[in-house]
Amino acid sequence: MRISDISKLAWGQIKRRKVVTGLCMVGISIGCAAIIVALSIGDSAQSYSEREMNSRLKMDEITVTPNSGVSVRGGGAKASKTGENINTGKLTRQKLEIIKGLKHVTAAAPFQELGYAQMLTIDNKVNDIQIVGTDLDLLTQYGNTFKQGGPSDQPGTIILSYGATLGLMDLEMQKTLFEQLNSDPYNTKLMEQFNSLNGLSAAMYQQQIELQAEDFNSETSRTYRSSTFRVVGVLNKPKGTSDEMIQSDKKVYVSLETAVRLTEELHLNVGTVGEEGIFNTVTVKVDKTENLTKVEGLVKRLTLNASTNLFQKKELEKTFAMLKRVALGIGVFILIIASISIIVAMTMSTHQRRRQIGIMKVLGANMGQIRNMFITESALLGLLGGMVGIGFSYLIVSGINKLVGGSIGGAEMGGSLVILIPLSTIPVGIIFAILTGVLSGIYPAISASRINALTAIKRD
Amino acid sequence: MLRVEKISHTFKSGGELTPVLHDINFQVKQGEMVALLGSSGSGKSTMLNLMAGLMKPTEGHIYIADQDIVKMSENKLAVFRRKNIGFIFQAYELIASLTVRENVELPLVFQSVSASARKKQSLALLEAVGIPDKAEQFPSQLSGGQQQRVSIARSLITEPSIIFADEPTGNLDTKTEDEIINILVDLNKNMKTTFIIVTHEHEVAQHMQRIFTLRDGYMVTEKEDPRSEN
Repeated sequence: MRISDISKLAWGQIKRRKVVTGLCMVGISIGCAAIIVALSIGDSAQSYSEREMNSRLKMDEITVTPNSGVSVRGGGAKASKTGENINTGKLTRQKLEIIKGLKHVTAAAPFQELGYAQMLTIDNKVNDIQIVGTDLDLLTQYGNTFKQGGPSDQPGTIILSYGATLGLMDLEMQKTLFEQLNSDPYNTKLMEQFNSLNGLSAAMYQQQIELQAEDFNSETSRTYRSSTFRVVGVLNKPKGTSDEMIQSDKKVYVSLETAVRLTEELHLNVGTVGEEGIFNTVTVKVDKTENLTKVEGLVKRLTLNASTNLFQKKELEKTFAMLKRVALGIGVFILIIASISIIVAMTMSTHQRRRQIGIMKVLGANMGQIRNMFITESALLGLLGGMVGIGFSYLIVSGINKLVGGSIGGAEMGGSLVILIPLSTIPVGIIFAILTGVLSGIYPAISASRINALTAIKRD
Repeated sequence: MLRVEKISHTFKSGGELTPVLHDINFQVKQGEMVALLGSSGSGKSTMLNLMAGLMKPTEGHIYIADQDIVKMSENKLAVFRRKNIGFIFQAYELIASLTVRENVELPLVFQSVSASARKKQSLALLEAVGIPDKAEQFPSQLSGGQQQRVSIARSLITEPSIIFADEPTGNLDTKTEDEIINILVDLNKNMKTTFIIVTHEHEVAQHMQRIFTLRDGYMVTEKEDPRSEN
C-alpha cells in the first residue's frame, strides 16, 4: 500500500470525524505550545542574560596580570644571553608583543591602574576618578566609541570616560553634602539631592583639569597636585548601560608616558608603573568567546595570570540548561496527558469504524495495512495539533511580551527582554507532537487490525 | 475452480454446540455462475463465509484455484482474497467518505497499484455497470440499485477468479433486481468470471447455470441449467 494512499485515506477520516479530530488536536496543540513556549522563554531569557553579561562583563576579554607567585630569579639561560631584564612572572613588553601575535587576539594593550585621585576643573568642581594608563589609540578596539574628540599625540592630554563627566560638584558643596549625609544617612531628601547631582552631566571636552591625590602613607597626610591637562576626548557610555549604572565608572585615560609622569607628580604608589616596559595589567581582546579559553591557556604558558568572566557564563548556562529541562519536562507531561485524549478518541473512533475496517479486510487489507492506516491517521493528528500548537505558542508569547514588555530591561539598556520563538524550537515541538500522535495511535491501531472482519460486518 | 470437500461446521455458543453444515461437497468450474439457494437458517451464508475464508470450518477443505484456503493464515488469506476473490454484499458496504470511483478502486489500493492505473480501470468498470457519470459522487447520493452497481464494479476491479455475492438483490425492488441480475449475467458471459450467488429467491436462482439447494445444513439438491426450463 502506497504512503500517498495511506495518507489520503487517513486524511479523509480526519476531515470526516471532526469531533475526534478536534478532541485530539486540542490536547496535542496545548502540549506542543507548552513545549515551544517553555523553550522559547528559556532561550530568550538566556540570550538576554548573556547579552547583558557580555555588555557589562566583557566576555571576550582576558585580564592579564603578573604572576607574583613566581620567583624573580627566573629568566633562564636564554634570557641571560639576550641580556634582557626578564623576570619569569613579570608582565613585560616582550610578553605583550608575544600575546599580540597570538592567533584569535584582536587587541592587547596595557591598562595600568594608577589608583584614585580627584579631578579638578578650572571652575573648582571636583570628581573622584580612577587613573588608567594605556595606549590611547587602542581604546576604540575595546568596544569604546568617542562621544567627542579622540586620542592626541600631544603631551598633557587626557581622555575621560562618560561616567567621569557625571556628578561634578563644587568642592564646598560636596564637602557639605558628605557631612550632612554622614550625620543623617537616612535623610531621603538629602539622598535624592545627592543622586540628582551625581547624575548631572558636565561639558568637559577641551576643558583644562588638574588631578590631586592625598598621600596617606606619610606621617602627615599630604596632598599632591598634578600639572594641567586638557580633555581631548570623551567616551560614549557603553551600550546597554544607563546613566545610573555608569555613574560609578569614572576613569581618566592617559598615555603610558603621562602615567609615569603622574605617578611622580602625585606620588602614586603603584608598583611597577614607572619601570620601562613593565606593566601591571594588560587587557587582551579575543575575536570570539569560544576562543577565550584557548588564548587564556596560551597566555598562562607565559607564566602570567590570566582571568576571564567565562565562568559566569558557564554558571548561567548551567542554570538555564536546568530551567530548560524543567520546562521541557512540563511540556512533555502535558503531551502525555494529551496522548490519553488521543488514545481515548482513537479507540472510540476504532469502535465506530469496525464495520468499515471489516469491509476493508474482506476487500484484501491485511493487519499491517489497517495498522498503518490508523498510525498514519494519529500521526497526522499529531502534525495538525503541532501546527495549531505553533499558532498557539505565537499567541501566548505575544501575550506574554505585551504583559511584561518593557518591565524587564529598557531601551537605554540596549533593549528589554522580548521573548522570541527560535526557529529551532518549532521542529522540536512538531516532532514531539507527531511522536505523541504515533505513540498514542499504536494501541488503537493494533486493536483495529485485530478486528474480525466477519464479526465487524455482521454486528449491525 | 472451487472445490468444497466434506465441509461441516458447528457453532459454539456458551457450552452449547449448534451444527449448521453437514458434509457439504460440490465443485464449481471456471466461468460458471451458480446459486446457493436456501431459506433463512439453511446455512447458505455460513457456507459463503467459509468459501470466502472469513471463517474456518470445523471439518473439511475448500480449494480455490487449487489452494486450500482452510490452511491459510489470516494475512495469507488477506493476500489471497485480494488477488482471487471479489465480494458483492447485500447492503453494498460502500465507504461513505470515499467517492464512487475511490470505492471501486479500494481493493487496488491494498495492492499498491498506481493512482493512474486505478482510475483507468475503475472508470472502465463504472462504464460497464452503467454508471460512468456517477464516478465523483458519494455513495449517499446514489440509489440502492446504483450503489449495488458500484459494489459490483468494486468486486471486479482486481479481476478475481471468483466472485461471491451475498443476497445481491436482497435490498432492491423487483425492477432494479432484474437490472442487477442482468448485469451479473452479462459480466459472467463477457468476462468469464465465476460467480457464486447466495440467495433465498428462486427467481434470482433461475438465472444461474446451476443451483445448489441447502436445507437445515444439508445439500439437498443440485440442479443443472435451470435457465433451459424457462
